[in-house]
Amino acid sequence: MNERVEKRSMGLKASRALSNTIIYILLIIMSVIWLIPFVCIVLQSFRVESTWQVGYVIPQQWGFDNYIKLWETNFPKWYLNTFIIALVVAVVQTIIVLCMSYTLSRFRFKMRAGLMRFMLILGMFPGMLAMIILYRVLDDLGMTGNNSLPGLILVYVASSGMGYYVSKGFFDTIPKSLDEAARVDGATRAQVLNKIILPLAKPIVIYTILTAFMGPWGDFVFARYVSQLKPLGMNVAVGLQSWLATDTMTFNNYTLFCAGGVIVALPVAILFMCLQRYYVEGVTGGAVKG
Amino acid sequence: MKKYSDLEFLALSKGKKFLYKLASFFASIPRGVANLFLAIGRFFKKLGIGIGKEFAEIVTTFTRGDWKTKLSYPVMGFGSIARGQVLRGLLFLLFEAVFFVYMFVPIGSKTGAQWLSLLPTLGKVGPHMEYNAVLDTHYPVYGDNSFKILLYGVLTLFFIVAFIYTWRLNVKQNKISEDILRSGKKLKSSGDDLRSLVDEQFYKTLLALPLLGIVVFTVMPIVFMILVAFTNYDGAHNGYSNSLFTWVGMENFKTMFSWDVGGVNYAATFGEVLSWTLIWAFFATFTNYFLGIFVAMMINKKGNHLKKMWRTILILTIAIPQFISLLYVSRMFSINGLVNGALQSLHLTTAPIDFWGTPKLARIMVIIINIWIGIPYLMLIATGILMNIPADLYESSRIDGANPWQQFTKITLPYMLFITGPYLLTSFTGNMNNFNVIYLLTGGGPTNPAASGTAGTVGYTDLLITWLFKITTGSETKYYLASVVGILVFVVVAIISLIVYSLLPSVKNEEDFQ
Amino acid sequence: MKKVLALILALAMVFALAACGGTAPAPAGNDQPAPAGNDQPAAAGNELAGTYDILVWVGEAAVDLTKKQIEDFNANNEFGITFNAEVNPVSEATAADQMLVDIDAGADLYCFPQDQFARLVQANALAKLGDAAKAFVVENNDPGVVAAGTAGESVYAYPLTSDNGYFMYYDKSVIPEEDVDSLEKLIADCEEANKFFAFEAQSSAWYLASWFFATGCVSEWTVDDEGNPLTVNDNFNSDNGLIAVKGMEKLLKSPCHTSSSKADEFANGAAIVVTGTWAYEDILKVLGDNMGVTDLPSFEVDGQEYHLGSYNGCKLMGVKPQADAVKGAALHKLAQYLTGEACQMERFNELSWGPSNLVDQQSPEVQANPGLAALLLQGAYSRPQGQIPGAWWNIASVIGDEVKAAASEDDLKAALKNYQDKIEALFELDTSALLFVGAWNGWNNADEADTFYFTKNDDGTYTLTLDVPESDYMGGRIVKPGDWGTDKGFAQVTDGADLVKDLGADNPDNNIVFAEAGNYTVTWDGAAVTIVKN
Repeated sequence: MNERVEKRSMGLKASRALSNTIIYILLIIMSVIWLIPFVCIVLQSFRVESTWQVGYVIPQQWGFDNYIKLWETNFPKWYLNTFIIALVVAVVQTIIVLCMSYTLSRFRFKMRAGLMRFMLILGMFPGMLAMIILYRVLDDLGMTGNNSLPGLILVYVASSGMGYYVSKGFFDTIPKSLDEAARVDGATRAQVLNKIILPLAKPIVIYTILTAFMGPWGDFVFARYVSQLKPLGMNVAVGLQSWLATDTMTFNNYTLFCAGGVIVALPVAILFMCLQRYYVEGVTGGAVKG
Repeated sequence: MKKYSDLEFLALSKGKKFLYKLASFFASIPRGVANLFLAIGRFFKKLGIGIGKEFAEIVTTFTRGDWKTKLSYPVMGFGSIARGQVLRGLLFLLFEAVFFVYMFVPIGSKTGAQWLSLLPTLGKVGPHMEYNAVLDTHYPVYGDNSFKILLYGVLTLFFIVAFIYTWRLNVKQNKISEDILRSGKKLKSSGDDLRSLVDEQFYKTLLALPLLGIVVFTVMPIVFMILVAFTNYDGAHNGYSNSLFTWVGMENFKTMFSWDVGGVNYAATFGEVLSWTLIWAFFATFTNYFLGIFVAMMINKKGNHLKKMWRTILILTIAIPQFISLLYVSRMFSINGLVNGALQSLHLTTAPIDFWGTPKLARIMVIIINIWIGIPYLMLIATGILMNIPADLYESSRIDGANPWQQFTKITLPYMLFITGPYLLTSFTGNMNNFNVIYLLTGGGPTNPAASGTAGTVGYTDLLITWLFKITTGSETKYYLASVVGILVFVVVAIISLIVYSLLPSVKNEEDFQ
Repeated sequence: MKKVLALILALAMVFALAACGGTAPAPAGNDQPAPAGNDQPAAAGNELAGTYDILVWVGEAAVDLTKKQIEDFNANNEFGITFNAEVNPVSEATAADQMLVDIDAGADLYCFPQDQFARLVQANALAKLGDAAKAFVVENNDPGVVAAGTAGESVYAYPLTSDNGYFMYYDKSVIPEEDVDSLEKLIADCEEANKFFAFEAQSSAWYLASWFFATGCVSEWTVDDEGNPLTVNDNFNSDNGLIAVKGMEKLLKSPCHTSSSKADEFANGAAIVVTGTWAYEDILKVLGDNMGVTDLPSFEVDGQEYHLGSYNGCKLMGVKPQADAVKGAALHKLAQYLTGEACQMERFNELSWGPSNLVDQQSPEVQANPGLAALLLQGAYSRPQGQIPGAWWNIASVIGDEVKAAASEDDLKAALKNYQDKIEALFELDTSALLFVGAWNGWNNADEADTFYFTKNDDGTYTLTLDVPESDYMGGRIVKPGDWGTDKGFAQVTDGADLVKDLGADNPDNNIVFAEAGNYTVTWDGAAVTIVKN
């Protein structure tokens, strides 16, 4: 009897070891596939011998030339633009999203169901076309071209209430009994939110800040419209893309693009890695229940 | 069709259950449509009665009301101020003042009333050129601006509706106040009003700003966009500097659904792009879904160390902006890119593979590369859910002799599907509108010869959303056509959502989670 | 309490509105700055004196040079004009797209390739040149380039270069000198060396036309003042066209072909790139002494040789229409200077852009430039680009994809047929459909008015049998659907003038007003209207 158990667990151990090995191999292959493009971008950014796109990966001559050259272009200005936008959007959008989702999760008022259905329907329209009109409105307000910063912030922030699903899902998981207990003790609704709910909702707050902060870095369509191709009004995405224009008449800035890409990706990626835990909690706590 | 009772239904096999559900869904369509019409009828009936009641109440409030109430009809908020509710009254009054200033005092160049009066024609005076002989210069003289007329005309309409609503509130307010005073109670003071805004009325404070943003920056553009579909707004009629645009009725929808407009078959192009959009959305959603779950299970398997490291590596694709990573990947797979170089130097292929130039291959490639982008999200979500599955379920099933595959199909998958049903739907519709992946990888290419000339060339990997983008930026900038496509995208998404919602196991009751 | 919310909402909306309205630039015509009157005395041109803020778009390579040239203009011009110019790098192809997105926000002065011209004229993004400026441009520039900036009778743009053609760059270390005249040998060399042959025949009609010109096919267009196509002489769908696509097939189906015209292909495994002078400096950097430059090769079909042709085009500089006539005039002076003899020569010296100025073209330096020499060599086989409507580029560009996908000769024929159908359809849309609008059909120029459509006859004329009912005003005219053009009416009536009334000044829209009710046959032959009473 004992022997059989031993044997079985031996077999189990062996099969577990085997399956773990397979999993390790698979994961290593995956990791390589996932990392290759990023490694390549980094390598290209250190290439000195030419600024073309080339058919090999390892630079023949290494150096920081591309990074140094970045400082002579408009890149620092673009970077600053994007950073300011991302910062402001992160703060304001978080406040708006939290207001919206907390309200829809906790209050039961007459228009609530209608409101949610209405926003669901609104979300089914492709936002692409709204760009044309938003662009004109911003143009009327003088928030385009070199002054595109406030315009972009306004547009990113204004519609952010629509993205309440994930954090509403998270708030739904916080027991209502907590609110009620506090209300019985005489706290106002505002106090309940500040003193009780927000501390509990730290993951979702950080998740919202993180996604709001990352959004503006990747906008290359609307930001392009709004900047009207004025070099000082661009964000990094538009600016870097203008270096890759498929135009035969411009000088090729491929390695410069890679260097710019690295500088953009680095802080965002590091921030993301540090706050990864909250991101996972936020996504899993909210996404599937929205 | 045979109708099953609940018990009979439960006894059916899985496949049959699904077929039965599907069949009953389609069988229910006629009734659904009939119900829809009935509901519309009821809605109008209710509306009619409602409006009648409102009018009756407005009249009776006036005739029975005291002089304060009567004076409130032309001067909004007067009653409230006179009864001591100064804050409310002043807000009403201020609103009325602003409304009339907007309507009748020119701000910028025109009054609200003027914008509104131009709305039916979208402008009468177009631009024309004149010649100045002294300066030897041709210069334009501009007239109306159709774009602004449409924009501010619509805004004025919004504003008028808001005004009517507020005026009605003002009347109702007077009636309520009179009733309260008559019953001998005291009215709320301004201080009470403010206090309740952070307490039982807190939701109004919280929602005010977000909703304002949504109305001005989402609702209004959508209304505007829908209206554009009924005009001839395009690059050659930009409404100001070259030519005015005007209303054309259903003309653009006719163009979209006709087989032959100047040798261009819009309907066929639309059909082709739509079918690829659906195929793409299906594969993009489900490959990511299942592979994501699979990867999550691998990473979270007991005895796997370095969990955090694997996760961190995968998450890179979320953390790095797509315009960098996808543009780079797109170039890696170009005909003279790194991948072809590597394949050839390893002697796996003799000639370079034209990944982006061959229709089928390009379609397969975008789906594969989308997996690269999408797995990490799913991996994260699946990780969270997998951790929530009670461990004793697995334990007891193991004792019952279930192998890992059975555990997966009987426990993990059903649990996942149940929890992530709505998520699958949103990710399906999200993929239908996945602009970034297509635009950055292929730009819609390779070109589809059969669909050339339809307002910018259409490619084999073009989704409706990228086609729409091409129409607005292409050689002809036909905004009106883009707008029609936008409306059609909405219709398709709405239909799919409706079908899926009715097929979902249970429309979840959100209170369950609290 | 919901009133409070409603109030706040509504109020905030008002403020948003007021803000929008408040800063809105005046859209109505009478609010525009008054243009300088016509009746001012013709002074020496010093009415242009002043300082103007302008926005200029040029290709990235030319930004610094253009800034310097504008400074020179400020220092030396005789009119007292000072420009405060913001010069932004916007590539020529992008400039046209961006102008169409929002003309108001676009540059006051911008450069664009010739193929964008028709689009820009159609969108009213180019200011017509005054008579003196037109005369100056015509006198000093290559006639082909002037034609590129001309629509109808008017010139709309200033010639910037005349080198917008393509030829062949190759890597001497891969391609032996004796092979450069034969496409087949070049393909074999590339395949053997595992190198690329870059020729943008798959996605660009501009390059693709090369094959058709080789076999003597033509696609010649005329366009009206607004850039719409009037006539076309196109025989791509012919036996010669079939030979052309067979030649094209040889290259497109070779694994060594890549559809590109970028200089950096050489850094990326290409041995041959078909592109133009603008890539010269860049390619020289990569290939150095190995760079070879020559005309395009010949291909062989059924034992006969065909030398690849090319388009010979140019780049143009345009002025955006200015509501302020004085500023507009000043801008025209600047454009004239920037595209004049001195500035073109500077651009040639610094950027190798081939001049369109007749004096510059004759200078020894220009004559000795290898890139321009190759262009000249190719010149014998090239066609002037002329005026081509914007739609053609889309229609023709797909031929390449179809040829690549073709499995048989029938597929090739189908590709050409498809092309021809689309070209014809372009005309069905614009000029073939004519209809008679008038009081009797409620002035309806939309599709439903089909009973009043003209039918096209075999000889190219249009006829309509028309019932004119008795009414106060029995007038109407011939228009295109959806259009209110006044160019096909009373003034064009040749035969049958006795049947219509001459209302003189009371007829501002050039309507044909019948003298009495009845049944008429109306014929339009492209220039004149004939009316016969039945």
